[in-house]
Amino acid sequence: MVRLKHRYLLVNILFPDLKNAPSAPRPKGVDELPYAIQFHQPSSDRMNAKLLMQMIRNGVSELFGDYGSGMIAGSLQVKYFSQATSTAIVRVSRDHYRLVWAALTFATHLPKPVNQACVFQVVRVSGTIRKAEEEAIRRARLSIRRAKRDTKTAQKVGGSADGRAAELNEDKDINLEDVSGFADGIDDADEPGDEDESD
Amino acid sequence: MFYDLNVPWSANDTQIPRTLTFLHELGYNVVALNHTISGKLPSDLKCAIPGPLPYKDIPPGLKVLRRCTLVLTESYQNARLAELSRNYDVLAVRPIDERTLQLACSSLDCDIISLDLTQRLPYWFKFKPLSEAIKSGKRFEISYAQGVMGDSGMRRSLISNATQLIRASRGRGLIISSEAKAAVACRGPWDAINLAAVWGLGQERGYEAMSKECRSVVVAAQLKRTGYRGVIDVVYGGEKPPASEKEEHGKGKGKQPVNGQKRKAAALEAGENSTPAVAGVENTSQQPLSKQQMKRQAKEAKLNATSGQQSGRMSDSQHTLESVSREEGKPKSAAMIELERQVAAGEVDRRATSHGIGVFDLPPEMRRASE
Repeated sequence: MVRLKHRYLLVNILFPDLKNAPSAPRPKGVDELPYAIQFHQPSSDRMNAKLLMQMIRNGVSELFGDYGSGMIAGSLQVKYFSQATSTAIVRVSRDHYRLVWAALTFATHLPKPVNQACVFQVVRVSGTIRKAEEEAIRRARLSIRRAKRDTKTAQKVGGSADGRAAELNEDKDINLEDVSGFADGIDDADEPGDEDESD
Repeated sequence: MFYDLNVPWSANDTQIPRTLTFLHELGYNVVALNHTISGKLPSDLKCAIPGPLPYKDIPPGLKVLRRCTLVLTESYQNARLAELSRNYDVLAVRPIDERTLQLACSSLDCDIISLDLTQRLPYWFKFKPLSEAIKSGKRFEISYAQGVMGDSGMRRSLISNATQLIRASRGRGLIISSEAKAAVACRGPWDAINLAAVWGLGQERGYEAMSKECRSVVVAAQLKRTGYRGVIDVVYGGEKPPASEKEEHGKGKGKQPVNGQKRKAAALEAGENSTPAVAGVENTSQQPLSKQQMKRQAKEAKLNATSGQQSGRMSDSQHTLESVSREEGKPKSAAMIELERQVAAGEVDRRATSHGIGVFDLPPEMRRASE
C-alpha cells in the first residue's frame, strides 16, 4: 500500500512590536530588554493549538480557495504548540506543504481573542517529527544561552553572573552569532532509515 | 548569506533600528536602506542617508548599505544618474509605464530595476528586453511586503505580476526583497523563497535570487564605482620612486597599479625565498621591471656571487667586495622590509598579489557602510 508521506514544519512565532501586548500583566522594565528577547516573547495564554489550526485553515481557504482547503484538510494537524517558547510543529501532507507554508507567511496577526501582530517563521521542514523536535530543542537551548549572554552584557552584572558563566560556556563550539541557524539550509527531507509516524 | 536590498528609509522614522534588528534576527546578513526619489532630481545629489548611521542598536553582524530608488516620472539625463550612483552603494530605478521600462532595460545605467508590482500593469513582460537588461548586469526586483500586509486586490496584482515576471525572465536575473516599512512586514528568507516557489520560481532559483543574485548586484555596483578598466582594486602598490609619485593619485590608476603589482609580486616571491642574492638586487632603473627582467637580474647576481666566492682570492678585490656586499651586506630595500613585515603579520593577503585582488574581500576603505 502506498504510504501517505508528510512534512513537519517547525514554526517560530515572533513578535516584532510591543503594542497590543498580551493580556497578562507585563513586568516594568520590559522595554529595556534587548530586542532579541522581545522578539521571542511567550505568546498569550489564550493562544492554543486549536486556534492555530483554525487560523491556518482560514488562511489557506483565503489564499487558495476551496481547492487548497480540500487538499490539506485530511492531513493538517498541529502536533505541538508551546506558549512559552512560541513554537509549533505542524504536520501537512508532503505534496501540499507549500500551501500551508504560504498561508503562514501571509498571516499578519494571531486570531481573534488574541489579536496580536506577529510574524510566523518556518525554521525547519522535516520528513519526520523526530528531527523537528530535535531542532526545536536545539533552538530553545541556543536561545536561552543567547538571552543569558545578552542580558548579562546589557546589565553588566558583577559577581553573581560569574558563577553561572561556567555553565554558559559549556559548549564553546556553538556559534552564538549564527542567529537564525540557516547555515545549512532548511530542508530535512526523507531519510532512508527513519520511520514515519503511522496514523 | 541572505540579502535584503530594499528597506525603505525616511529621515524621521524611529522604527528603523527595530526593523534592522528584526531582519538580522530572521537571518539576513546584508541589508540596504532605500531612499526613494520621485519627480525632479534635487540639485544636491548627496546621499540622503547619513553615514555612519545615526542609530545605536544595530546588530554588529549586519552590514547596512545605502540605496536610492529613482521613480522614472520624467525623462532622464543619464549624466545625472551617474552622479547619483556615485553617492549611493546601489542605484535602482522604478519605471512607471512601458516606455520607461524599455528605457530602463536598454539605456539607463542602473543596478536594479524595481517595479511596483502591486498595481495592475497594462502591459506584458517580454523576454527580449528583460534578457538584454540581465545581460548588462541589471536585476529585476520582486518585493513581497506590500502584498503580505496589503489587501486582497494588491495581493492579487502582486501574485499575477510576479508570476509573469518569473515566466518572462525564465527564473534568472531576479532578486527578492521586502519593501517592509515596519518590522511586522518582514519575513524570513526561506519564507520569501517559498512564496516565490509557489509562484513558479523553483527552490534553487529562489535561493539564488536571495543570495547570489543580490550579491552580484552589490559587487557589480561597487566595481562600477571603484574599478577602472579591469583593475578591481589596489591593495598595496609598493613604494614609488619619488619622480613618479604624482602620477599615483588621480585618474592614472590604470597603468601604475598594474606595474606596482607586478613589482610587488616579484618582490614578494623574492622575499619569501629570502635568497640574499635575489634580495640584494635593487631596482635602480626608473622603469619598473618586468618579472623576466627581475629573474634575469637575480640569476646574474647569484652567478656573480658564487663565482665571486670561488675565485675570491684570485679575482679583483673590488669585484669580490661588490659581490659580497650584494650578497649579504646590502640592506634590503625599505619596500621589501615593509612587505615582508606585512606578510608575516598577515596584513597582506597572499592571494591578492599575483593576479589581482580577491573580489570577495573589498578593503575597508571601499566599504561605505558603518561598521
